[in-house]
Amino acid sequence: MNIKVSNVTKKYGDLKALDNLSLEIKQGTIFGLLGINGAGKSTLLSILNGLTDIDAGTIDVLGFDIKKDKKKIKEISSIVPQNLAFYEKLTVKENLDFFADIQNATRENYNKAIEISDLSKILNQEASTLSGGQKRKLNMAIGILNDPQIIYFDEPTVGIDPKSRNEILDSIKQYKNLGITVVYTSHYMNEIEKICDEVAIISKGKLIEQDRLENLLSDRISGQILIEIVYENGIELDEFTVKDNSFIETTKDRLCEVLEKLDQNNISVKQIKYSTTDLEKHFLELTDEAEDV
Amino acid sequence: MFSAMIRKEFLLVLRDKQALMALFIMPAVFILIMSVSMRDIFSQDTVHFDVSIDDLDTSEISKNLTAKIIKNKNFHIVHKKDAQFIIQMPKGFGNIEDEQNKTKLNIFVQGTVKSDVLEMFKSKLLKNIVKLELNVMKMRLGEFSDEAANSIDLISLSSNDLFNVTYNKNKDIPNSTQQSVPAWIVFGMFFIIIPMSTIYINERKQNTLARLNSMNISIFSITFSKIIPYLFIAQVQMWVMVAVGMFIVPLFNTPALEINGSVIALIFLSFALSISAIGLSTLIAASANSSEQATTIGGILNILLGSIGGVMVPKFIMPESMQKLADISPMSWGLDGFLDIFLKGGNFFMVLNESLMLIFFGIIALMISMLILYIRLDRGL
Repeated sequence: MNIKVSNVTKKYGDLKALDNLSLEIKQGTIFGLLGINGAGKSTLLSILNGLTDIDAGTIDVLGFDIKKDKKKIKEISSIVPQNLAFYEKLTVKENLDFFADIQNATRENYNKAIEISDLSKILNQEASTLSGGQKRKLNMAIGILNDPQIIYFDEPTVGIDPKSRNEILDSIKQYKNLGITVVYTSHYMNEIEKICDEVAIISKGKLIEQDRLENLLSDRISGQILIEIVYENGIELDEFTVKDNSFIETTKDRLCEVLEKLDQNNISVKQIKYSTTDLEKHFLELTDEAEDV
Repeated sequence: MFSAMIRKEFLLVLRDKQALMALFIMPAVFILIMSVSMRDIFSQDTVHFDVSIDDLDTSEISKNLTAKIIKNKNFHIVHKKDAQFIIQMPKGFGNIEDEQNKTKLNIFVQGTVKSDVLEMFKSKLLKNIVKLELNVMKMRLGEFSDEAANSIDLISLSSNDLFNVTYNKNKDIPNSTQQSVPAWIVFGMFFIIIPMSTIYINERKQNTLARLNSMNISIFSITFSKIIPYLFIAQVQMWVMVAVGMFIVPLFNTPALEINGSVIALIFLSFALSISAIGLSTLIAASANSSEQATTIGGILNILLGSIGGVMVPKFIMPESMQKLADISPMSWGLDGFLDIFLKGGNFFMVLNESLMLIFFGIIALMISMLILYIRLDRGL
């Protein structure tokens, strides 16, 4: 049983936030949802959580209809909003107790949330005094108190240091190991590349592309290589394609030839880079195209 | 579930020190300042009595008494409509030698004159009348015997033998404490906008309300769980302010507050007033886009409702047109109810009308705020 979104439209006045959108999220996977601001990602998450009603289309969440079984869908799912959706004036424990009580969470789930999110040492600390990373962890811990089958993450790593980010991404991978379906939105492509099994790109409320991450990347790995040079004024670079006066773009086949020519022209090489961030490039290409349309 | 939500709301508001100050210290300080500073305006403990004289007897005694009152520094002669006391000397008042046909002096007293002030007035008046009558009698008896004339000094006269006192109940004017305490209770209660809007808007902005809603907590439950703690806080607030009026204000040589009416009526009115204040606060918190906006709008609205509702300027000194305008303010309904209890000894039924209006206002405001929250959640705002 998957999450199946079929021909969903949601309007706010004249604005179509979602426009006949269809996509499928496989159970037990980490699903990346990409799109520029205003693409419709947050609206889709709100709808999947039962917070917002749809105007047209159907949604099936693990066998439950979004219109008929909203209460049940809310019981089996959870959202970790981008904002820190807890109470800063309460301690970590008071926050967890409150959210556990209102959802009738079991002691086992309560302890599991503390353990996975590594909160045991800061339970009695007021939430306002936590670091950015600790706050994010608390935000996430609240999200798993009800032992959800699906968790929606709305850009959960905004504004935190790389160490905390990696810890959060590791926690999310753990959720997958627990059999939880994770829907993840982020602006950081490397995060998507790191944890997602499948990715959907949406723009202006429409699905642009959906595929497994490896398919998206393998299609795009073109064997391009960037050679970073030490640029000096007066160097003749006409025979190369140079970007930003620093990078010469070439391919694996022509690498030796280019290096030889650089040597002949006394141009020093700083580093040679294999292009690996094609998802970002691909995302930008697709969303640019969609904007043009 | 519900108890957890109520507990959370309590913890949040009790940790908001600024809000608690606004709810408790601000009105308490206002009560003290206003009661003490308005003491002399409202005071009846003065030795000056505003009187009007109506001499229907035109006898020697009545003319002399009128002259004495005019000369006496304790009495200020004013127009009938402004008088605390109207002294009417009916025909036969001056018949001091004919007990059968002698009539009593009529005193018409404004409804809000306190009994001790009336007693003081009567004693001053009695002294003047007795002196006058004795002088007249002495003069006449002195012609026969000095001894007989002097023995008259030993005769004691009761004021009841000389006066008919009638209270005019049409106009009720509070003293400074009776005005200040309810006025600042009402005003202070509406200040729950500060903690309510801060917590509520933070919850909304941080998507905590959306999160709660995604946890199957309905908008009704979210709203209702906020009402209970603030209802409780408002009751505590009301009794603290009453205690300030009863026990602290008198320390500053200002009249103490007396609860002349029913305590049940007071509790019911306070409950109704808090529903109204919570409703308005929730409505502002649901409508505003930021807590700064909510506290600004709430503050301005409170001052406006307070100004026209008789909190800043007592209603009884407002012109009639303004008094009519005051009736649109829920603060005025609450204030009238409190004055009914403190001043007129009102019971439950006396404040029922004002209380029902306050509850109705509060419920309508709460319903509108729930509708706004529903729309905001649907739009992800």
